[in-house]
Amino acid sequence: MTTWNVRVNGREVSVEAPPMARVLDVLRESLGLTGSKEGCGEGECGSCTVLLDGRPTCACLVPIFQVEGRELCTVEGVAGTELDPLQRVMIEAGGVQCGACTPGIVVSLRALLDRDPRPTRAAVRESIAGNLCRCTGYERILRAVEELVGSEEADA
Amino acid sequence: MSFMQEEKRPGKKKIKTTRVVNGLDVEEEVWVDDLEAPLFKPREECRLLGTRMKRVDGPAKLTGAAEYTSDVRLEGMLYAKVLLCPFGRAKVKIDAAPALASKGCVHARQLVDETKYLGQPVAVVAAATPELAEDALRALVVEYEPLPWVLDRGQALAEGAPEVRSRGNLGRPTEDGDAGEVEAAFAQCAVVVEQEYSVPVQHHVCLETHGTVVDYRGGEDAIVYCSTQSTHGIVGDAAESLGLRKAQVRGIVQHMGGGFGSKFGLERAGTLACEISREQKRPVHLMWNREAEFLTSGNRTGAWQRVKAGANKDGRMLAMSSDVERYGGIGGGSHAGLPYLYSVEKSLRKHASVYMHLDTNCAMRAPGHPQASFAMESVVDELAAGLGMDAVEFRKRNLNSPAHLRQLDRVAELIGWNEHPNRTAPGSVDGFEAVGIGFGCSRWGVGGSPVCQVDVRVMNDGSVTAEVGSQDLGTGTRTYLAAIVAEELGRPLDGVQARLGDSRMGNANGSGGSTTTPSLAPAVQDAARQMRGVLSVAAAEHFGCAPEEVVLDPDGARAPGGKLTWLELCALLPPEGASVRGTWQSDLAVSGVACTQAARVRVDLLTGRVKVEKMVCLQECGRPLNRLALESQIRGAMTQALSYALLEERRVDPQLGIALSADLETYKIAGSLEIPEFVALVDDDDLREGVAGVGEPPVIPGAGAIANAVFNACGVRLRHLPLTPDKVLNAIEERKSS
Ligand code: FES
Ligand code: FES
Repeated sequence: MTTWNVRVNGREVSVEAPPMARVLDVLRESLGLTGSKEGCGEGECGSCTVLLDGRPTCACLVPIFQVEGRELCTVEGVAGTELDPLQRVMIEAGGVQCGACTPGIVVSLRALLDRDPRPTRAAVRESIAGNLCRCTGYERILRAVEELVGSEEADA
Repeated sequence: MSFMQEEKRPGKKKIKTTRVVNGLDVEEEVWVDDLEAPLFKPREECRLLGTRMKRVDGPAKLTGAAEYTSDVRLEGMLYAKVLLCPFGRAKVKIDAAPALASKGCVHARQLVDETKYLGQPVAVVAAATPELAEDALRALVVEYEPLPWVLDRGQALAEGAPEVRSRGNLGRPTEDGDAGEVEAAFAQCAVVVEQEYSVPVQHHVCLETHGTVVDYRGGEDAIVYCSTQSTHGIVGDAAESLGLRKAQVRGIVQHMGGGFGSKFGLERAGTLACEISREQKRPVHLMWNREAEFLTSGNRTGAWQRVKAGANKDGRMLAMSSDVERYGGIGGGSHAGLPYLYSVEKSLRKHASVYMHLDTNCAMRAPGHPQASFAMESVVDELAAGLGMDAVEFRKRNLNSPAHLRQLDRVAELIGWNEHPNRTAPGSVDGFEAVGIGFGCSRWGVGGSPVCQVDVRVMNDGSVTAEVGSQDLGTGTRTYLAAIVAEELGRPLDGVQARLGDSRMGNANGSGGSTTTPSLAPAVQDAARQMRGVLSVAAAEHFGCAPEEVVLDPDGARAPGGKLTWLELCALLPPEGASVRGTWQSDLAVSGVACTQAARVRVDLLTGRVKVEKMVCLQECGRPLNRLALESQIRGAMTQALSYALLEERRVDPQLGIALSADLETYKIAGSLEIPEFVALVDDDDLREGVAGVGEPPVIPGAGAIANAVFNACGVRLRHLPLTPDKVLNAIEERKSS
């Protein structure tokens, strides 16, 4: 066991874990942040997506030793005391059903919007191409972002 | 003097009331809601029902606060994992001692001596953390002696093949129809098509895998958290595995990440978790990994369908014969039968199962229907093309239900069929790309069952709860549970707290076959209207009027005698508040809903890639409760059908006896880049008072519509799903050279 220092959702945390422990397990088991889900454990479904220094990353693929001194943001860190506007429009537009894919999708979209506050529909599609959803058919997720940024740009 | 017939209005009655007009009392008769009749309010009077309501569990799901089975963390909990057999079939010998000696491992055992299918769990371990459980799995010393297996049709039916079941690998066929009559009918046909159509085995791919967390520490009580479609349904199996009585076990399903038919019982993960918990007297967490999900959790039956069908020159289908083989692994498979949906005057059919060493099929969203629909919609389209007839017109001549006839017209209009050049003959394979349109229809029986018990409670501080031990698979059950009560009591949606997913609450059926809504919503409405009666009586006593004269609205209660705020009204209740229990009302459940879809595709003639550009769906559902949820269900269903049409297929290597598609990289499902523009519409011409679920019907016709659209675009008929670019390109080359 080694102690790792990581900034998680804006707070400095020290956590004990073997160096090869997956970030996903450290979050879910040691830190009690179970918002990030394990859909496959192999980097294929995106439901474990977190931001590592602001970039969407599959937490199931990254060992904890690689994030020493770095910054993680999970779905629990997207909202403050109020819902983030992105979370609000996802509910209003109907972009969620069972919700198992939702934390990963919210995190992927937050990263996109932080990078580009007015993305095209094609960019929104691209940003969640690694997030699988079996329930909603994605369209309302795209629509939610459009409603948020006020653009109706067609795919080009 | 005239004898007028007494006017009747559903859910309403006439009462005499006195109104003050210019200082004078005037007696009059008015229509009021009949508080004894548990009907919904008329559609136009509803504030919530029938609108687009935000799901009440949205904030919990969007912030990661919603607790799923896999998120349950308990003091002293063990993590269990299973080892899957990598062979088609094998004898197994396992030395578990090294695993038991590994750090943190408290339980390790062999599960079977001989496996029955590829990927069957052969050992289970439990340890203090997930990593230690992985270590324990690796420490097992396993010897496999591979046994001969059959993993495809050829192997299964070969001479001397090992038997999957005791009476051979070809099940006894069922047959019906009169061969002579069908032959005679074929003789009357102007066009006859004889072809083979196949569909692969499809997986459910719930984003949350199967799994259970058991909270048992010895003693008499256990709580079982399970990712299941049936909160009440798991209690019996859990009690048996734990050695307890049913009354000692409580099932909890707060949020679950998709089921699609694969999660009705406790399932193997659940019984194993219970057994370990019973032995260890500690909580146990056991979630399948994705590989186990693909190999041992059931699937949609694959099928091979030989079909001959004929129509006369007027486009009436006169004859059909079909020979269907079902591939359900060690299970019998399911297939809805041909002819499917369309009426054919004379038909003959034969069905048989072919058994293989693969996990059994199970229910999956409209079990057996998409398979039959794909063959049927294709044949229908081939006959229309053979006659040079408009595909919509041909369908209308062979469908009986008025709903389908009007839906076809509307859907044709919405997809742009009437302006489309290829209405009576397909496009060509020349050029770079081709655009085509295809259609498909379905119908689903729905129907509710009279098992739900819904409890509605109003406390004298104004708080309201609606509870029932049903479950929300993500479809929106929780939201309409709150909304129906809020509608009836005049409350805002967030003024009613909906509680479900606990077997200690009132009974409810498992969620399958689109039956949750027609079983549950009528019972909710019954409870809601009873509660409105209770509140109206309390208000009426206060105002000195008839209970029916009391109107509950967002401001509270009003009656000819005055007004009360909601809090004032509830303060009239006794300290313990008021509670009522609602039960099923057959008048409020619809049976039979029609669905019609169209797809527009663009075929890249150089690469064979099919891009679905637009899908339209018109879906009957009786009275819509929450349009946002209904439309989402419809889009999700169309997406699964698109995925079935273009991408999904279980693949195995029959020679090596291994799985080739047991992960999400090799088993691809539709992602955000694949999805088209969707027009998902609730059919508002369906004016029935009852409600229906729409989980199943919109998943049925999509694959046929897409394959038909490919034909319509460029004249190549693809009869074997999925429509991968290699198949499309081959067919294009064949057409070019013919
Ligand atoms: S769990 Fe990490 S990508 Fe699926
Ligand atoms: S909402 Fe269920 S997987 Fe996306």
